[in-house]
Amino acid sequence: MIEGKKDSTNKRDILLITILLLVVGGLFLYFQLFQSTGEANYAHVYYGSSNDPIVTIDFVKNEIVQYSQQDVPNQYGSFPIIDEGKRTITLLGDYEINGVRQIVVIQYDFGLKTVQIIEEESPNNICSREGASTGKPLICLPNRVRVEFETNDDSDFTV
Amino acid sequence: MMILISQCDMKQTRKMILLANFLAIAIVLNLIESAIALSPVPGAKLGFANVITLIILYVYSFKDSTALTLLRVILVGLLSGRLLGPTFYMSLSGAAAAIIAMGILKKTNFFGILGVSVVGSIFHVFGQIGAGIFVIGSTAIIYWMPLMLLLSIPAGVITGLIGKRFVSVWDTWHNKIEN
Repeated sequence: MIEGKKDSTNKRDILLITILLLVVGGLFLYFQLFQSTGEANYAHVYYGSSNDPIVTIDFVKNEIVQYSQQDVPNQYGSFPIIDEGKRTITLLGDYEINGVRQIVVIQYDFGLKTVQIIEEESPNNICSREGASTGKPLICLPNRVRVEFETNDDSDFTV
Repeated sequence: MMILISQCDMKQTRKMILLANFLAIAIVLNLIESAIALSPVPGAKLGFANVITLIILYVYSFKDSTALTLLRVILVGLLSGRLLGPTFYMSLSGAAAAIIAMGILKKTNFFGILGVSVVGSIFHVFGQIGAGIFVIGSTAIIYWMPLMLLLSIPAGVITGLIGKRFVSVWDTWHNKIEN
């Protein structure tokens, strides 16, 4: 009796895992196919949980638009630092080493339409290991800096 | 009478010591996992420390398991210096979602430990991503959800198999000691 019950829960477990694998696998493939289309027209750089970008990289007009200053304590100076020569945007991250907040350096390329985090400090360096991105959001979580892409052509009419 | 009391005390003490050991193992597993960064997703983990949550759920109770899991998350936050940081909230939310889902599913007795473990693993991802949306104030993190879910299933199977083996060994060992 107990053996029989065990067998049936075992079967149900395997069935459950198979179904979940199929559903999640399908979702994964769908996302892969769905998101590989088109290249981005804009990349927005955000800090913290704000939904207003601090800087936008415009791949259509090949220019950098700064909307606001990053809100940081006075002793760090003023951010973002935009270097058009080196094609970098530097923000101050949230991650601290010995109580000092560290910088996050974002590099952009108008020709390839890519953005890359080239310098940041965090335990696992997930966002800088991500490499150059053409559409995948770059999230530096301990630093609370993120780059999101936008492909919508009409967006400059709505802003 | 005296013997009865001391036996009862003995059981309580043994349980307490075992739970303390489990907590220590869970903390070490969690620290190792955050150090080697198996997950490609910022701030998210596959939750191998959930194996202890799962085991306690089966060998003791939902209450003990919840207490142990919350303690583990808070202590790991303290030890790694990430307490109340963005990744802490993601861990907390993931662990809470996993334990609640596993507790409810175990109650139904419809699935075995393997099924419960996989569902817990999936809810661990939902919990983390859900908190991640609040932490970074953007739904961009959802981009990684399919990949995380896909990875979480094998992770759940592994923790489930370990848990299953552990519980069967535990049953023989524990019965021998308690009686």
